[in-house]
Amino acid sequence: MKRRRFWSGAALALLVALTAGAPIAPAQSASTLVVGLVAEPVALDPAQVTDLNSNRVGRRVVETLVAFADESTQIVPGLAESWTIARDGLAYTFKLRKGIAFHDGTPFNAQAVKFSIERQINPEHPANKLGKYPFAAYFFGNVKAVEAMDEATVRFILKEPRASFLAIMTAGAASIVSPTAAMKSGQDYAVSPVGTGPFKFAAWDRGQRVVLEKNSSYWRYPVKVDRVIYRPVTEDQARLTELLTGGLDLIVGTPPDFVAQLENHPKVTLQKQVGAHVWYLGFNNTKKPFDDKRVRQALNYAVNKEAIVRDVLKGTGAVSKGPVLPKTWGDEGGLKPFPYDPERARKLLAEAGLPSGFSTTLWVPESGSGMQSPVAMSTIIQSNLKAVGVNVTLQTMEWGTFLAKLRTKEQDMFALSWMAGSEDPDLVMYPLLHSSQWTPVGPNRAMYKNTRFDEVLAQARLVTDQAKRAELYREAQRLLHDDPPWIFIDHEVQTAAFSKRVQGFKLHPSFDLRVETISLK
Amino acid sequence: MGRYLLRRLLLLGPVLLGVSVVVFLVLHLSPGDPAEIMLGPQATQEDVSRLRAALGLDEPLPMQYVRWMGHVLQGDLGRSIRMRQPVLGEVLTRFRATLLLTATALLLSTVGGVTLGVLSASRPNSLVDRLSTVGSIFGASMPSFWLGLVLMVCFSLWLGWLPASGMYAAHGGGGLGDLLAHLALPAITLAAASMTIIARLTRSTLLDILRQDFVRTARAKGLVERAVVLRHALRNALIPTVTVVGVQAGYLLGGAIFTETVFAWPGVGTLMIQGILARDFPLVQGCVLVIALVFVFFNLAVDLLYAVLDPRIRYE
Repeated sequence: MKRRRFWSGAALALLVALTAGAPIAPAQSASTLVVGLVAEPVALDPAQVTDLNSNRVGRRVVETLVAFADESTQIVPGLAESWTIARDGLAYTFKLRKGIAFHDGTPFNAQAVKFSIERQINPEHPANKLGKYPFAAYFFGNVKAVEAMDEATVRFILKEPRASFLAIMTAGAASIVSPTAAMKSGQDYAVSPVGTGPFKFAAWDRGQRVVLEKNSSYWRYPVKVDRVIYRPVTEDQARLTELLTGGLDLIVGTPPDFVAQLENHPKVTLQKQVGAHVWYLGFNNTKKPFDDKRVRQALNYAVNKEAIVRDVLKGTGAVSKGPVLPKTWGDEGGLKPFPYDPERARKLLAEAGLPSGFSTTLWVPESGSGMQSPVAMSTIIQSNLKAVGVNVTLQTMEWGTFLAKLRTKEQDMFALSWMAGSEDPDLVMYPLLHSSQWTPVGPNRAMYKNTRFDEVLAQARLVTDQAKRAELYREAQRLLHDDPPWIFIDHEVQTAAFSKRVQGFKLHPSFDLRVETISLK
Repeated sequence: MGRYLLRRLLLLGPVLLGVSVVVFLVLHLSPGDPAEIMLGPQATQEDVSRLRAALGLDEPLPMQYVRWMGHVLQGDLGRSIRMRQPVLGEVLTRFRATLLLTATALLLSTVGGVTLGVLSASRPNSLVDRLSTVGSIFGASMPSFWLGLVLMVCFSLWLGWLPASGMYAAHGGGGLGDLLAHLALPAITLAAASMTIIARLTRSTLLDILRQDFVRTARAKGLVERAVVLRHALRNALIPTVTVVGVQAGYLLGGAIFTETVFAWPGVGTLMIQGILARDFPLVQGCVLVIALVFVFFNLAVDLLYAVLDPRIRYE
């Protein structure tokens, strides 16, 4: 008897020990929004992270000088109320809004802007060693100096003119952090960020939830939700079940197979929106037979993009005619996607001296950021190409291996995607297709080179007038249509599903998740 | 006993050293590079090499191992590559959730398995016995992630009795009741396979023992059947069961990875999966070391338990 009591006591003690210190959640509140993420954020300093989930949370806390409009990626004032661009395109001067404070009470000013950017690009900066800034070179490699002219004026001096600089200043890496908080928290700043955004960082229970609380003195408008809780729920079925049973209010990244079920569900609203993304099948343009543009055109005709979007993606993709997002300022509206025309494909292959087709390999990652359903999509492409005599061997690989292998330049064909997060054509066409960006130096993994196209893109970087840039980009897209570097497949249609009590939410084409516009019924 | 324990504890060193070498090599020699994965398709060669250098990944492998091991010996498991947080803290925070899940599953499978085994053995070929046989085959041949999804759809989506994921409700939760509700589905999912194995084993050993002479003697003494089975036969039948329970504890720790992923249980398994996908070497190495340590201790505990169950067993 004594012994039994000992064991039950021990068991109870163990249970108490394991559950002690468990986070006590705040009382259920009508103004708490619970968001289900596909994966847990890695860290919350947008300058130090590269994944979507971290950015979606972190960007509620910090803000940028210029921002995207509510429903497009057109650039509008953010923390800067106005800006001027020097005639030579080498200096950008921002006038900052006055009277804004960081969540820790310190003032937002030109010094804070200087600090936020310099900590990433200047190895001597006291905050440089406090974090790793993976995209410092990509975004700010062209910045020569950041000058605080006075309390509310800051000037960026560039090494060479770059018309997309404003678009770069909307990136997460360009967010303005509280210098006081960043220095005080040191390496831990990335898990306890302080900015000027609509929500303040409150708590992070690892593996369970990130809690943000309303910034009641937000400068732009009063935030209507008191608290946002982000929960990582990786398994699709679990995320869906939680939404349908009220455990979550909003989920993003609905798997294609669930779309139809959610579209007609009485308890939830499904929202769709085309994101600034492109999914493509790259050719190695330096290898035979892909060095012949007739072959590349033929394969564009051979693939049934509509079927992929309809049957595999279940409507979560929009057929693409090129890298630029349709219906944005740089889009060449006169172009149409390559129609599905196997007959024409065969004819073009015959003209190129390949009447009986050829054999090749296609590298496909099993999954990856922005890759949608890579293996299923590639399998359809494989069978489409087989129908015109091109025998494709699929080689699937794990994401990290895949990216590393693409640097070997040994690829024939490969499936890849690009999330520019902005409609500025420079941010998708230049890195992916300009010949100065050939892998391994840059992301032009198709090793595409078209001299006229190169010239047009370079020229478009030098003019700051948007209408003139648009004209140049339209020409660039016509060149790509005639001399295609890839098989153009689709732009991702992002989805969000949310309960009926969520009001005022809009998916944003930049893939950001702007929960600050939400009110709860 | 004391010397035996000391010897076993001394053996821990080489075992953990071996584990560390194997994990280190498997991770570092498998293709895929943490810098490449972190930076994604937008990375330039320059970005990748800069990050590799900053992470110390451009050094020769033996150097990297020695440096890491040097820190480990001082109790520092390093910093996670992606999260930049100290690995030890991350692993220990998450391990509590894994331990709770595994311990509950072990308890469920042991108590459930032994009970089923005893019921089947004491009435062979009865309805209970047949049902338990069918259930066992079903339970043993079902992948845990599938069972998890089925349970989730039934009990969360259709019936609405239990929450589908997490450890606590995101808001309004936090109590013991909330925890137990969240624990139920993952623990049952994890316990299912082990429970069937333990049930089958207990049944067959107990059937053997019930045919032995001392059981006949006990019955001849006029003991009630309950006492014969539970006090005399079961205690002797438990030795192989305890061995299997020890092994199952290890399987449960490993199997927890899948269960945790399905139910978004904030344990070391979900942490490790993220770590593996990102090639977060220090994080995965830290997780495996801690799991290995617990596994070794579990086996030691099982060995010591033999002596408690069977007084004839002595450790010299």
